[in-house]
Amino acid sequence: MNIGQDIIGATTDIFSTMLMMDLGVGDPLEGAGGEVLSNITSMLGLGGDIRGMLAVHCPAAVAMAITSGFLGMDVDELNEDVKDAIGEIANMVAGNLKVAFAGYDMKIELAIPSSVVGESFRVAGMQGARRVAVPFDMEGGQFLVELKYIVNS
Amino acid sequence: MGHNVLLVDDSSTMRKIVGRSLRQAGLDFDNIFEAADGLLALEVLEKESVDIVLSDINMPNMDGIAFLREKANRANMKDIPVFMISTETGEDIIGEAKALGAKGAIKKPFTPDMVNEILGPFLK
Repeated sequence: MNIGQDIIGATTDIFSTMLMMDLGVGDPLEGAGGEVLSNITSMLGLGGDIRGMLAVHCPAAVAMAITSGFLGMDVDELNEDVKDAIGEIANMVAGNLKVAFAGYDMKIELAIPSSVVGESFRVAGMQGARRVAVPFDMEGGQFLVELKYIVNS
Repeated sequence: MGHNVLLVDDSSTMRKIVGRSLRQAGLDFDNIFEAADGLLALEVLEKESVDIVLSDINMPNMDGIAFLREKANRANMKDIPVFMISTETGEDIIGEAKALGAKGAIKKPFTPDMVNEILGPFLK
C-alpha cells in the first residue's frame, strides 16, 4: 500500500491530462508537517471501508492559475469559479484514490466536495488518523494534497 | 445539422470544461444546455429538444443514477441517450448506469480527443 504514490499518480495525471501541465512533485509526508499557506481548501469526505478526508490546500495565486487553465480565461479573484475548480481537483483526486483503494481490496465512497476561502485558517480533526500529504510545485507556488483516514475495523 | 446537448454536473466549472472540450473536439452542437443536478436535468428535458446528455454521477439532490432511473420512467425522454462523465468508473457503478440505459462513460480527467473518441461515432 503506497498512498503517497497513489496521490502523486492521480494528481499528476489530472494536471497533465486536463491542464497540459507538468507538476513538480515533492516527497510524500507522513504524519505532521508540510503545511502550506492556504487561501482556499477544498475537501471531501470518504466513507465505506475507511473514514477520512481528502483535501487540496492552495495559496490564492495557485488556485487562480489552476482555474485559469481549466477555463481558458484570466481569473484574478477567489470567486465561485475558483472554489468550484479546486473542488473538482479534490473530486478527481479522490475518484482516482477510490480506484487505488479498490486495488487494496477496500471499497470507499465519496461525498460532494466543499471549499473554504480565507486568509489564515487551519483544517484540523480526525484524531488518530493516518495522514499522507504531498506537496506539488507549479507556476505561482506550491499546493498540497492531503489525505487523512482511518481504516474501519 | 448540429445537435443539442445537455451537460449535467454540480460543478459549473466542469460544465464549462466539458463544453469547451466538445468544441475543441470539433463536435457540432447547436445548443449546449446545462443543469446542476438530476432534478434540474429532468426539467430541461421536459422543455427542450435534447439529442444527447452528458451526466456526472455524484451530485446533490438527484445523482446521476437516480436521474437515469427517473428518466427511464418518462416516455417523452426515455430514448434520449446518456453518457456518464465522472470520476466514478468502477465496474459496479458504470454497470448499474448501463443497466439503466447509459450508453457509455467518459472518465475524468479527460481530453477533447477522449471525448471525441467516445461521442464522435455516436453523433456521426
